[in-house]
Amino acid sequence: MKYIKEFSYHISWRSRSRRPGRHKSNQRGMGMEFRGHTTLLSYPDPRRIDIRQTIRDPMEQVYVRIFNQKSATPVFVMCDLSGSMQYGTPHSKLTTAAEITRAVAQSATRNADPVGFIGFDDALKDDWVATLSSRPHTMFELADRLEDHLPSEVGTAALLSSASLLPRERSLIFLVSDFHMPLTQLEDALLLMLRHQIVPVILWNSAEYKTLPEFGITSINDPETGERRTLFLRAAYRQRILDTFEARRQAITDLFMKFDMQPFFVENTFDADLLTDYFHQYVVA
Amino acid sequence: MAFTYPWLLWALPLTLLPLLLNRSHSKQYSWVSILPPDPLSSTVGVLLKVLATLSILFILLGLARPHSLEQQVERVGIGAQIGLVLDRSASMDDPFVGDQDGHIGETKSVAAARIITGFLNGRKNDMIGVITFSNSAMYVLPLTENKEAVMSAVQATAGNSLFQTNIGGGLTSAVELFKKVPDSGSRVIILISDGAGRVSDMVQQKLRDWLQRYNIGLYWIVLRKPGGTTIFDPKYTASGYDGHVPSEVLLYQYFQTLRTPFSAYEASDPKSLEAAIADINSKEKKPIKYLEKIPGKDYTNTCYWIAVCMVGFLLGVKYLEISTWRSA
Repeated sequence: MKYIKEFSYHISWRSRSRRPGRHKSNQRGMGMEFRGHTTLLSYPDPRRIDIRQTIRDPMEQVYVRIFNQKSATPVFVMCDLSGSMQYGTPHSKLTTAAEITRAVAQSATRNADPVGFIGFDDALKDDWVATLSSRPHTMFELADRLEDHLPSEVGTAALLSSASLLPRERSLIFLVSDFHMPLTQLEDALLLMLRHQIVPVILWNSAEYKTLPEFGITSINDPETGERRTLFLRAAYRQRILDTFEARRQAITDLFMKFDMQPFFVENTFDADLLTDYFHQYVVA
Repeated sequence: MAFTYPWLLWALPLTLLPLLLNRSHSKQYSWVSILPPDPLSSTVGVLLKVLATLSILFILLGLARPHSLEQQVERVGIGAQIGLVLDRSASMDDPFVGDQDGHIGETKSVAAARIITGFLNGRKNDMIGVITFSNSAMYVLPLTENKEAVMSAVQATAGNSLFQTNIGGGLTSAVELFKKVPDSGSRVIILISDGAGRVSDMVQQKLRDWLQRYNIGLYWIVLRKPGGTTIFDPKYTASGYDGHVPSEVLLYQYFQTLRTPFSAYEASDPKSLEAAIADINSKEKKPIKYLEKIPGKDYTNTCYWIAVCMVGFLLGVKYLEISTWRSA
């Protein structure tokens, strides 16, 4: 199997999961994080008896130290399966999404976090949903299928309903899409997922805008709506397209920042190290 | 506008193909609606479809061979409606004798053809029909303005001939020429013959009526054998002459009883024939109204040229087409 590069991630909140893991937690347990003292009667664990505190107490009670354990947190990959995701050079966005899925699955497993997958296009389909699991195999299988997936003319209408598949527990969600969708649709969906921490992974391809040909005529069709158009590319129009994409990037960033989610742009190829940097830079430990 | 192969027009719905079908080699693009609207691009898109449609349309039209219908334009010119009645009897192949200026041995028919050709060349707006006759009339050419056809018809008479001279048949056929043609005011039959045959009483009566009804003048050019009888010989008209009257003279006498203008000429050599023709030429110069036929114009090549231009334009666009842009 191909080497899967992991990234390191952490969460900015205290996990409430009782399951031991690698993340900060508010669960008492066998951790290293000192939380306070209590009497042996209320926490009968003689291993944790704090002799110093016991001696200092004039009431001569026996004290034990309480620690927080480290807990697991659910990690999800929500992947856009719409028609526009088959676009891209040197490989399609779906391939990039598959790489990201593998990296997430691998990293989550390393962190002992359960990981799940939700794929959405115009409808939610069972075969594109993997429930939370500590074993990454389903994820790898899904990633392989994702790579070969050839979407039909579908959009991203099911993004909204996919929120209902998420657990009540706060989760870390990698929302992988090119976000070629109406911003209102995106905003509605984000409003439903505010409970969770979302990392918007934005897959754009330079062939979409940066490396457009300088001059010429071509006709294009839309993989989602089937709309056809003839393009007469020339310097002025090319610049307008670039400006439009720049404005779009700004609009997407603004929307996500409104919900305090820093977008993570992936152009052409995914580099796990950049995602590590992202967590170090934007997610408070 | 008419078409030679109108059934090909049933294929015209094919022109809708470029509008209905999309180009098969269009590229995928992730999100077309994000691209800013561009009027020039849309125009080019529409233009390409229109070009494709038009090229198919014009190829189809070209295949159907469009042409305009022939038109008739009334013109006024100077000339006459002339019915040429040429003798094709074997005797016409005899040469004139006693010619002094190099035309020795020229047969009468050849000389007649040559001189009539010259005569026709000098006239502009005549309508001329041609009848030849020997033992019966041969319908050669209706009254037409096409001088070339007339020339060819006249020249074709100079050749091997048959026997007998049926003048009556020739003349009645010549009158037939005028039946369906509007009267231009100047109608003439020029009869060129050597000798004459008998014309029956019934035919004589019919001819006289018809010539009057259709208002046709008659010129008779007799190609006389040298030393032969002359129709102008006064001895035949002298009272008290009761010898044998040759058929030419009888015919001449009959012609003189016509109620329409008549003149006779005698030519014994090409020169006198020429003189006779020149006389007719000078007499028959009245303004006439005639209908000129303008042939229909063939637009096939125009259609093809337009189609070629369109296809060339499309090829040019094909050259401009982007082939370097790799996507999906």
